[in-house]
Amino acid sequence: MNTQMQDASPNSNPSPKHWSDLLEKVGRSQDEDAFAALHTHFSPLIRGFLQAHGGGMALETSEELVQEVMVKVWLKAHSYDSSKAAASTWIFTLTRNARIDFLRKHARQDAQTDPLTTEDIWDEDDGSQPYIYLHQSRTEKQVAHLLKTLPSEQRQCLQKVYMEGKSHTEIASELELPLGTVKSRVRLGLKRLQATIDVN
Amino acid sequence: MITFHPDENLLAEYAAGSLDWGLSISVKAHLAMCPQCRRQLSKLNMVGAALLNESAPASSDMSANTPSDFDSLMQKIRSLPKQESKGVTEGAKLEDNSELPEIVRKLLPKERIKWRRVSPSLREAQLTTGQDKYEVCLHKISRGAKVAEHDHGGREVTVILQGSFSDEDGTYNVGDFMMREPGQKHRPTAAQNQDCLCLSVVEAPVRLTGVLGKLINPFLSFQPG
Repeated sequence: MNTQMQDASPNSNPSPKHWSDLLEKVGRSQDEDAFAALHTHFSPLIRGFLQAHGGGMALETSEELVQEVMVKVWLKAHSYDSSKAAASTWIFTLTRNARIDFLRKHARQDAQTDPLTTEDIWDEDDGSQPYIYLHQSRTEKQVAHLLKTLPSEQRQCLQKVYMEGKSHTEIASELELPLGTVKSRVRLGLKRLQATIDVN
Repeated sequence: MITFHPDENLLAEYAAGSLDWGLSISVKAHLAMCPQCRRQLSKLNMVGAALLNESAPASSDMSANTPSDFDSLMQKIRSLPKQESKGVTEGAKLEDNSELPEIVRKLLPKERIKWRRVSPSLREAQLTTGQDKYEVCLHKISRGAKVAEHDHGGREVTVILQGSFSDEDGTYNVGDFMMREPGQKHRPTAAQNQDCLCLSVVEAPVRLTGVLGKLINPFLSFQPG
């Protein structure tokens, strides 16, 4: 972890706003330099995210998906709105959707008769709410910060859900744990990240 | 007022993209009606972003130098056909044109909805979703009617789209999301003042045969209340 560097050298670790600005530039004027900078920063992260812990994807597959995601970034940048989500959150949702698309294409399912696309079900704008615009970037920083303090078993479960795209049931059988244990680890992890909203 | 929501685990699976297609349809329908869960989703997406941000960066296998990598990316982008504009395709209208979640409208058949009469007060329309792990359908319960007690032998999600119904556990209104595990029996009764329309996503039962499977339907019979 190189958290100490965060404040000391802003150049090696630009702020989230830096990436959001670049992304908006791509959206506004199809700025290739801005896109190149985003590519240099995010492609290795997307690749690392998808290949995580050997439980992730095969190399060629993740390679194909990284490119897929970056193409989407280029094509959809015009719809990106930095007041709704950080660049990384937006790119996470594109990555997630690309993986769903890929798995679906390769599953033995009749995609021909399917009236829905992945984007119909997982819209990258879905979570964006005027309600929380004000607190968005603060919350994003907070989640990132708290992630580093997560107990390893909670972290492991969250990584499997998000990075390996596994359902709770799959994780339970892989780790030989009761389903209830996996569920509570995920729940506790999310709570610790303050990523759950108290009802009422 | 929405009182019943998908739990954090289910929403997290949805946000992560690890939730099954069929169930995700029901979550999406609920999200369309529930600002609270959309807020929650936005936070769950941030968790994904935080994990992305702290992934160990991996360089491209083929070429370690990013410039040529970028060139091939731009080449790919330039070779793409011009983006087709995405027209909104909407299926048939239900007889009363209330606002349905977009995801449900997209699932409606192009011509007209084929309702099948399960009992005098219960109609069902199967929706095609390109997968067979979950059966996705609309159920319409006539106002005031009581549906036979039933148990689906699989996970069942119900999202209320119009009207309301109640069962042993409570009253459910527009937007409410209920998940029942196998073995949980219930006997819904629609409210007196309005037909109740629900989206149902049911784990497909092990069918005996195609024809028999059609006969052995989740909602077997109507019992006058």
